[in-house]
Amino acid sequence: MLESLEIVQIAAYLGAAISVSFASLSAGYGEGYTAGLANFGLMRQPKAGDQLTRSMLVSQAVTETGAIFSLVVSLLLLFGGVDRGSLGLDKAAALLAAGLAMGLGSVGPGFGSGYTGGYACLALSRMPKKHNEITGNMLIGQALAQASSIFALVVALLLIYAIPEYEDSTLLPQIIRAVAYLGAGLCIGLGTLGPGTAIGFVAGRASDMIGRYPRQRALIMRTMFVGAAVSESTAIYSLVIAFLLMYAL
Amino acid sequence: MEGFEFIAKAAAFLGAGICMGIGALGPGIGQGFVAGKACEGIARSPENSALLTRTMLVGQAVSESTGIYSLVIALLLIFST
Repeated sequence: MLESLEIVQIAAYLGAAISVSFASLSAGYGEGYTAGLANFGLMRQPKAGDQLTRSMLVSQAVTETGAIFSLVVSLLLLFGGVDRGSLGLDKAAALLAAGLAMGLGSVGPGFGSGYTGGYACLALSRMPKKHNEITGNMLIGQALAQASSIFALVVALLLIYAIPEYEDSTLLPQIIRAVAYLGAGLCIGLGTLGPGTAIGFVAGRASDMIGRYPRQRALIMRTMFVGAAVSESTAIYSLVIAFLLMYAL
Repeated sequence: MEGFEFIAKAAAFLGAGICMGIGALGPGIGQGFVAGKACEGIARSPENSALLTRTMLVGQAVSESTGIYSLVIALLLIFST
């Protein structure tokens, strides 16, 4: 039979692996997509080389954000999560759920930011003179997309460091809390997948269209903000449900 | 707490998380697609921007509905079991 410390440690290691693996999946895909479209743009407009390469690198750095959050969470799980507080089943489940939350939570923003960056590079190749406008819109859009990975980071950090402590006489309430924490992690992880991808799509279309019709920039950006805000709503619902599952039982 | 009641409660909490998580996936992607295409449409024909924004918001509100269903079911699973 395993000791409770060993169970918590196994859960922390599993969580660390899940977190960083899912995150690198999407960040890798997103950055590759950006670089691919940037190369296509370079082929069309070799004179815009400097600006294109710069925008591509900036975009890849922003796309990496979610993966960096996941790296931080998995390092915390490996080195700092275990020795704090009680060592029950609920603690083990909370650490596993933190990994799930951050890992799944950075998938959507990774895909979304990559799409935005790719289409911004294409737009740059079409209209190199407008590179300030296009890169600015790209960065705003990617920041909006990464907002949902910040939700996931908040939930993961709370699951690692701030779960409430109880004195239990039996195992049953512990198991219920453990399942609720797993639910919270899955909720915010899967819940940010759609909004992250979708806000990236909105920002990508907006960047592309600013490249084609630079005069309509104000109108396009307004529509982008409204659309991205509405798309974010379901991520906020998920955040609320995750908080309720963690603290309102 | 009885055995069955206990299993039901644990399942309800896990179910609430999965329900809201997967339930947010579809509306999120759908609303983003609507907004992306609206940006495209407004760029191509800016004179119709009021009409396009209205259609975008109505379309997003309709795709939001399933997200709100998930939210209601998740809240019911948390508080009424």
